[in-house]
Amino acid sequence: MTDRRSKIKVGLAQIDVRLGDLEFNLQHHLEWIAQARAEGVELLLFPELSLTGYRLLHLTPRVAIQPATSPIVQKLREAAPEMAIVVGCVEEDDNGALFNSALLLTGGEISHVHRKLYLPTYGIFQEGRFFSEGRTLRMARLFGNPFGVLICEDFWHSDPAERLARHGAKLIGVISASPGRIGPEAMPPSQEAWESLTRASALLNTSWILYSGRVGWEEGTFYTGGSHIVRPGGEMLARAPYLEEHLLTAEIDLREVDRLRWRLPILAAERSDIEWQE
Amino acid sequence: MIRKDEVAGRLRLNEALAIATLADFLRDGVENAAASGLVLGLSGGIDSALAAGLAARALGADRVHAYFLPYRASNPQSAVDAAAVAARFGLALRTLDITAQIDAYFSGEEASADRLRRGNKMARERMSILFDQSKRLGALVCGTSNKSEILLGYSTVFGDNASSLNPIGDLYKQQVRELSLHLAIPDAVLAKRPSADLWPGQVSEDELGFDYSMADEILYLMFDQGLTAEEVVDRGYPETVVDRIVHLERANRFKRRMMLIARLSGSAINLDREIPRD
Repeated sequence: MTDRRSKIKVGLAQIDVRLGDLEFNLQHHLEWIAQARAEGVELLLFPELSLTGYRLLHLTPRVAIQPATSPIVQKLREAAPEMAIVVGCVEEDDNGALFNSALLLTGGEISHVHRKLYLPTYGIFQEGRFFSEGRTLRMARLFGNPFGVLICEDFWHSDPAERLARHGAKLIGVISASPGRIGPEAMPPSQEAWESLTRASALLNTSWILYSGRVGWEEGTFYTGGSHIVRPGGEMLARAPYLEEHLLTAEIDLREVDRLRWRLPILAAERSDIEWQE
Repeated sequence: MIRKDEVAGRLRLNEALAIATLADFLRDGVENAAASGLVLGLSGGIDSALAAGLAARALGADRVHAYFLPYRASNPQSAVDAAAVAARFGLALRTLDITAQIDAYFSGEEASADRLRRGNKMARERMSILFDQSKRLGALVCGTSNKSEILLGYSTVFGDNASSLNPIGDLYKQQVRELSLHLAIPDAVLAKRPSADLWPGQVSEDELGFDYSMADEILYLMFDQGLTAEEVVDRGYPETVVDRIVHLERANRFKRRMMLIARLSGSAINLDREIPRD
């Protein structure tokens, strides 16, 4: 692609989602896409499982879609073809396997699908009972630039983001539906954990990190919000409020990554030839 | 390893954030159910006072319907305190005396019932009234049981532990106190010793055999942190109290998992088919 732009206006759609109601959530997406378009957003990230809600349990197969032929995805594809949009859905493959997936819609097409690699199945999380694990990690393209898309737990393992950065990603988007917790400090412990991860990753992988979380309640569990944008190197550029729907926007410049990597070439110095000695 | 002197600090909450989150829970629950508001019983105690404050914060006072439901043997101070709580949050308070129906039941053949049976009956009568009033008003019943008493089983099944939604069920008693202070609940309510007021002179801590502040710490270490009884005793808590709490927690699990259904079909409700509510 010749049109390789380094300056991109990004938006994080920190929405509430109605559990198991695809039609309602589609309308909600379309409203937020319209608002983001009015604000000149070029890349819009919705949260994990944004079309279905997160805690689906045995509702999971009932809201599964085949993205290529889904009328719901078709409406999203038509909504803003000039915009790049990441949405979360339950994806069913041709064999009937279900995945927790992120779709990147660009130019009216599904240009990239990421299937969640790590399915948390501990504590209140039960994804391993209802989803199959994604097996591949690939690079998406965003206005000619390499772009990484990950889903929530994928980011609690350092390998996927690191591999994306090593293969050229300067921008990694993480979509999430992360249950919140309240502790003694003004920042919820759940948010503290996420910001430790996103800021460390932005430093170690010298990349932009976009974290798109959600709000609302499902079966007594709340989602924190606190969506945020971290500069390459780890500085917090912008953060959405907790507990309320919010469209967080900012203009980012991928050249910042190049400038940091010239100064701090740690990614290029990464080695895979270090032998472990017992 | 958590030391004994650290435990109280770990139970601290950021009051403003916790209150905003719990109010959001009530607002979301009422909105999702398309209900008109919330119904709750004010006993004159701190738990229902906090729940009332959260409900008023969530919905505005005019959508919160407070009830005082005395029996002839109820402590007269309870009426004064319930009225003070209602006034503090601007709630209209309706009083419905339950003496006639309780005494009617415990006449004749049932006249020999002990005070525990009578107390349980009163708790169920009160909840029965609240659910009936909620139907009349198109509202939901707000629960007022805290985490300490739920874990200890210090409640009546389908009585005070029943509700449509409970904002304080994940708060230990001392966290209830902390948030109540922040909401400026009347001093008389904050100061008095907890009582179910089911018979004259009843005091919760005397009946349980230990103080809530110690019970909260022991429950936190065992339930939240997963320590064994021995590990809790090793930290300096009295063995008799730890043993009693272990016993109560185990003996009362049935009160926390409602609707035990005999599974025959392989598609039993809540066992094979976990259909979430939003």
